[in-house]
Amino acid sequence: MLEVKSGGIETTVQDYPGRVGLLDQGIFPAGPMDDLAFRMANLLVGNDPGAAGLEVTAGGAEFAFTDNRVVAVCGADMQPRINGEPIELWRSYEVKAGDTLTLGWLNGPGFRSYVAVSGGIDVPVVLGSRATYAPGEIGGYEGRALKEGDQLPLGNTGNATPGRRVKPSLVPTYTSEWVVEAVRGPQADPDYFTTEDMEFFFSHAWTLDRNSNRTGYRLDIHQWQWARKTGGVAGGHPSNILDNGYPVGAVNVAGDQPIILTVDGPTLGGFVCCAVVAMGAMWKLGQMVPGWDKLRFKEVDIAQAAELVQQMNQLISEESLEGV
Amino acid sequence: MAQHDGQTSGVILATVPAREGRPKIVYRQAGDRFMLVEFGDMEFDLTMSFRVLGLNQALKDHGLDGLIETVPAIRSILIHYDSTRLKPDRLIQAVEDLYEQLPPFETLTIPSRRISLPIAFNDRWTRADIARYVEHIRKDAPNIINGNNLEYGAMYNGLRDAEELMEYVMATEWWSAAIGFFPGLPFLYPLDRRYAIVLPKYNPTRPWTPEGAVGIAGPCLAIYPVASAGGYQLFGRTIPIYDPKQRNAAFAENPILLRPGDRVTFGPRVSDEELIEIREAVYNGTYEYQIDHDATFDVGEYLRFLEETREEAEAFRRRQEEAAQRTPVP
Repeated sequence: MLEVKSGGIETTVQDYPGRVGLLDQGIFPAGPMDDLAFRMANLLVGNDPGAAGLEVTAGGAEFAFTDNRVVAVCGADMQPRINGEPIELWRSYEVKAGDTLTLGWLNGPGFRSYVAVSGGIDVPVVLGSRATYAPGEIGGYEGRALKEGDQLPLGNTGNATPGRRVKPSLVPTYTSEWVVEAVRGPQADPDYFTTEDMEFFFSHAWTLDRNSNRTGYRLDIHQWQWARKTGGVAGGHPSNILDNGYPVGAVNVAGDQPIILTVDGPTLGGFVCCAVVAMGAMWKLGQMVPGWDKLRFKEVDIAQAAELVQQMNQLISEESLEGV
Repeated sequence: MAQHDGQTSGVILATVPAREGRPKIVYRQAGDRFMLVEFGDMEFDLTMSFRVLGLNQALKDHGLDGLIETVPAIRSILIHYDSTRLKPDRLIQAVEDLYEQLPPFETLTIPSRRISLPIAFNDRWTRADIARYVEHIRKDAPNIINGNNLEYGAMYNGLRDAEELMEYVMATEWWSAAIGFFPGLPFLYPLDRRYAIVLPKYNPTRPWTPEGAVGIAGPCLAIYPVASAGGYQLFGRTIPIYDPKQRNAAFAENPILLRPGDRVTFGPRVSDEELIEIREAVYNGTYEYQIDHDATFDVGEYLRFLEETREEAEAFRRRQEEAAQRTPVP
């Protein structure tokens, strides 16, 4: 059992890849916003990389253990401590019954920290996944963020692996100015956006609005040129189209405002999508600080995007770890 | 490679021009793991949904290696695929092959459940959220008359009164062309064009909508699966179409009630008190949802029905247009 002493600002149970295959029912996959740090944490403690763990957003969470486990914390630096003693990120540790794990406030760049516990969080599987999907109030612990007093069941701990760390040269580096690989989306130029619009999109340093969360990342307002004068039957504005499905990670432009549709986002709607964040770059979104960080989009094609995924899968492997 | 007319650009991977028996199809790149397949032009044509759902079913049945899932909408299918295993060119060719193998459009039969949902028109819950909107968001919203959207709906569509509008909502079957935005939210379109109500959206949008609310914007009717913000003109409230706690047999296998291709009718008409009772019976498991699981939809028969009712539908459309011109928009 894992006892929640404090859920902090927003802590949820997630697994990877989340609830895949339900887009036609209106359900985005959920899962960790930073799937790289999440899977690394699981790998460190000896879990399957996709096993259910915790996503701690913006800091301030505390947990107590009721049996012996191995834990790892990966992602943003929230000054993690076991029984008050500072521990390193990207490294697995043994804990005993009665021990506490505390995450404090953010220290440096990055926004989300991931806690993996050997055996994984054993909440019920709902529609194929344990991931919390707050818009539909399903998955995770009662379909919601954790709060004080919640008791999380843990799975059987198999070959737990304490005393390992990610090789220091392979630890992802965080920044406040991100470069995010993206592929052109279904309504890019020439028939919805102009070539100049797309050039602006791929060169501008966008600011992430403070009103950004797991359902969407809002970027700054921009006066687009638009290739069409109106949206025709779909509405008055050229950003309107007859409703169609939205890709996960799409950059959706509603009127003047681009919004990246993150893992809890809407599945379908009537606004254009100019680009889609590459699958291998989605993790970066999870570490951006709303209201503070800037991002540029770097255009890649489908083949280059596939390479990114392959590089990431290579990184998430035993070869990236070492004993300490 | 699929036959196309050379109209390719960065994101348009292929364009297959219209020819006898089939509309134009455009294949668009939608990032590194999605492709959008669009039918015809950007115009509202419900019959495109039948082609979409016919092809969608064929794609699901075919089980193409590397295909993860599909998202049908009114005139498009978004395909989610693994681009490390399935190259875009091969996906396009596979879709084209499947489309060519579909039976002629007029002979398509689509699995289409029939579902009837009780409705309380002008109910206290939607009225309460409309009242909050007037108090906190917009006092002079022209789409709110006597605290509801029904009277405005009647005016905008050239109908006698709110009562006639309710009759129109109940008179047609509603075709579920897509499910999405929120979990389980259906995009429903009127199959009987003689009763096809059209309405503008709220401006600005409404921060509150009760779960189970029924609203219309454009030609589309939506049922709100969860309490949320919304922009549709609200007419009434029905029973749950989404239950994450799965408290009724209708939700035993899936917390989402409706699917693309379903047909929904509204009835019987109930009072607020009756709706409370039915909703309680839903949650304690004693209410049985009215669903005909085995029904099918015959496209040819429907096309004949459209032809038979064309003049009446056209007469209503003209009446609507005149009424809309003299009605303020929000």
